[in-house]
Amino acid sequence: MARSFRDAAPFPKAAPVFLANPQLRANLRGATTTIRTKRDRLVAELADFESMRQQAEAIKNDALGRLGDLLAELETNVQAAGGTVHFARDAAEAREIIVALVAAQGVDEVVKVKSMTTAEIELNGALEAAGITPVETDLAELIVQLGDDLPSHIVVPAIHRNRREIRDLFLARMGEHGLAAPDGLTDSPSELAAAARAHLRDRFLRAKVAISGANFMVAESGTLAIVESEGNGRMCLTLPETLISLVGIEKVLPTNADLGVFLRLLARSATGERMNPYTSLFSGVHPGDGPQAFHLVLLDNGRSTTLADPVGRQALRCIRCAACLNVCPVYERVGGHAYGSVYPGPIGAVLAPQLDHVVSDPVSAALPFASTLCGACYAVCPVRIDIPRLLVHLRARVVEHNQETGPHLEAAAMAAAMVVLASPRRLALAERLFSALPGGALRRLAPRLPGALGAWAIARDLPPAPAASFRSWWSHHRGSQPAAASQLRPTAVLGLLGARLSRPRRATSVPPTERSGDARHKILNDLATLRRSAPVSSGVPAPLPQPARSALETFLERVAAYDASVTRVGPGEVAPAVQAALARSGARRVLVPPGLQAAWLPTAGPTCEQDPGEPAAMLERYDAAITACAVAIAESGTVVLDGTSGQGRRALSLLPDHLIVVVSADQVVDDVDQALARLRPGTPQTWISGPSATSDIELQRVQGVHGPRRLDVIAIA
Amino acid sequence: MQIALFVTCLTDALSPSAGKAVVEVLERLGHEVVFPEAQTCCGQMHLNSGYRREAHALARRFVAVFSRFDAIVTPSASCAGTVLEGYRNLAEDLADGELAAGVEHLGATLYEFSQLLVDVLRVTDVGAAFPHRVAYHPSCHSLRVLHLRDQPLQLLANVAGLELVEHADRESCCGFGGTFSMKNAATSTAMMQDKLQAVTEAGAEVLCSVDSSCLTHLGGGASRERLPLRTMHLAEILAKSRGSAPVH
Repeated sequence: MARSFRDAAPFPKAAPVFLANPQLRANLRGATTTIRTKRDRLVAELADFESMRQQAEAIKNDALGRLGDLLAELETNVQAAGGTVHFARDAAEAREIIVALVAAQGVDEVVKVKSMTTAEIELNGALEAAGITPVETDLAELIVQLGDDLPSHIVVPAIHRNRREIRDLFLARMGEHGLAAPDGLTDSPSELAAAARAHLRDRFLRAKVAISGANFMVAESGTLAIVESEGNGRMCLTLPETLISLVGIEKVLPTNADLGVFLRLLARSATGERMNPYTSLFSGVHPGDGPQAFHLVLLDNGRSTTLADPVGRQALRCIRCAACLNVCPVYERVGGHAYGSVYPGPIGAVLAPQLDHVVSDPVSAALPFASTLCGACYAVCPVRIDIPRLLVHLRARVVEHNQETGPHLEAAAMAAAMVVLASPRRLALAERLFSALPGGALRRLAPRLPGALGAWAIARDLPPAPAASFRSWWSHHRGSQPAAASQLRPTAVLGLLGARLSRPRRATSVPPTERSGDARHKILNDLATLRRSAPVSSGVPAPLPQPARSALETFLERVAAYDASVTRVGPGEVAPAVQAALARSGARRVLVPPGLQAAWLPTAGPTCEQDPGEPAAMLERYDAAITACAVAIAESGTVVLDGTSGQGRRALSLLPDHLIVVVSADQVVDDVDQALARLRPGTPQTWISGPSATSDIELQRVQGVHGPRRLDVIAIA
Repeated sequence: MQIALFVTCLTDALSPSAGKAVVEVLERLGHEVVFPEAQTCCGQMHLNSGYRREAHALARRFVAVFSRFDAIVTPSASCAGTVLEGYRNLAEDLADGELAAGVEHLGATLYEFSQLLVDVLRVTDVGAAFPHRVAYHPSCHSLRVLHLRDQPLQLLANVAGLELVEHADRESCCGFGGTFSMKNAATSTAMMQDKLQAVTEAGAEVLCSVDSSCLTHLGGGASRERLPLRTMHLAEILAKSRGSAPVH
């Protein structure tokens, strides 16, 4: 039975348990350090990262500002494309809708793409209760499911496990659910990934219903975008007859062009890659390609309440990249389970309490306090969510609730502090009392005291009380000056610049604009502007100037960086290059789509068969596929297939283990935005950046999971 | 020039030597320091703990006390951050236009100590000598709220005899976080121990920062663990005069 976070303890109680687990601490430290380093390097490569963050923030703010209209537009376009749209106000409604849709297909098993939203509504438990087995197909989710565990990270749910633990789990549990792990399985990440491939292959091929989330939805075309690495997502999105996608209402973007900046930001922020291996775009149902029944379930579950809070709503900009988790010093030490929420880490601490109505339970109410407000999260957030500000905002909601509901010890202490801090005389008195305390005795006693003092003194000595406070020292040594301080006419910052104050300053503050023309204020304002204009650091050095080079060269270099094979050929030399690539993989049966140029096919070697149009799962019997592409992207080393002539249906480039893509130089564009401009919205698209891969085991990239393990790109220059 | 000192309640009560050191350094450079005795606390603890009403009263008090000065210095990056960023958010949340105008004005007059020296007074050598191995902990609010660059390091680089040692994960949080250190004491301690380990492994004798709050926490931990490590505010190091005239 799927576990849930329902029995979780509040953060302050839960955290010490995880802190005391040295293996977990080591796993988390290793993984977060790896991912931080990769992210910083890849972000530094972009000259315009800051302006991209601002652009992404603006697009999300615009979309959230007219969310109702966009959802209506999305609904119309999904339905026009043959899909069905359902709205769910809360988790229970969403579960009910989805369970009924699955049950109507008469199946007892569904394959699932990794989805935090399905975890949010605890869908797996509801499916199991209805006699339906949910099969998690993402490697990390599979690790979590096999271990009867809970996800601890948004992107890498099994980040708390190391390779040895995963090997042991696979050996012990895979057999109970299907194909057992091979005897003698080692803890090498590539062997573990291969075991997952073998274990799930048959599940994909026989699945009738799949369930997914989505990263983005586009209102103007009814498109869903799903970003992944392993190819398990593509399996679920293309092989079954029925697809059900559960998506939070905040994920809608107005236009297809808006996708560009998010696709550029997401992979770099999430996994430290130029682009994730696979991005699937589809709109409703595509005849002859993929599921012929599509249901979109749009989930509110606290989102519209969150939207109503002018400060809190910015959490809805989140694109679930988890960059904030990877840099968070608290997350790094306690891991995701301590948060007691599907969404852990800094974003979880501001999102979960809002979706859950902050003060309604002790686990949610503790989350906004599970941070030092160090700000590392805000510095890396690709949509500029000011998480520290949100944390403070939510803390205020918890405190104000406590103050309304009766006497509260902390509130009383804070009120007492106010009595002292509201008056310099009382503050001075308190300081004199403090200095008079027997410091040594208090220090020894402190660790045994209850409350805040005792908590402080568990691991820290109290600071020695000074003989006198600063205030007291000042009044004794400079006593004559401070009394007059308020009457002293201040000479300005420009004293240092040789200027002189020509007239007395007014005592009250005056808006700077009223004082323009005054040199003094100009300088002061310039200094202020200088400071204000200091960009929010994304924690990375400025990019090195890149030598000018052609889009094709950059493209080929970046494809090669994914460990794909790259061959440059002249216009008449494609066929021999294809033949050589097939010889390298030893492919015997080769699949080609309708409309592929005959001149590209090898004259010797294995025979090439055109897609017979059978059920997609039958394409499994081919060893290799050859396809053209629609466009290629230099910046990320991506090829995009859109199902037009010479490319075929989506399963063609997925099931055979060796994929050969032929690209011509005029198809290569500089970046994602240019690619989107060339592509026709509403087409079924597969964006491919290297062979299928995973980073789910200790954040180390391993080539080859469910999609083709070998990718050849042949470029006609 | 005349500079008003916002000493902060924590420095006032627990680390007066850091406040005295600020006065000493600025006077050595020929400036006049005044201490508005009506000051108390910026309200950071209340604000960051969710006590908005209380923080609001302290914020208004701060603006009333300090708005008349043209240059204000504070030895705390996090208190400066509270005034410049925390107050702005508070003014927006509570729709207090007067407070917003006050913060706008303070944005041009309030400086953290190392910012004032390097960016405004354009001094990087204050004539200090301190022959010790020193690690610098850039506090989170100095880095990510005030966006301080290397001002403290420039000042330390010109201290005679001082050897600056690099420690691992320099920019990661020390774990203090105000009331976090008590509400989540175990997590706070784990972060503190990692920081102290990195600093001692680097061979530092002295740990220096621009926030007395981090130093109180780290110093308390070092004392409990009997580490051969002292904590000192940047101003305390810069106040150690080498007896020659400062270089402007």
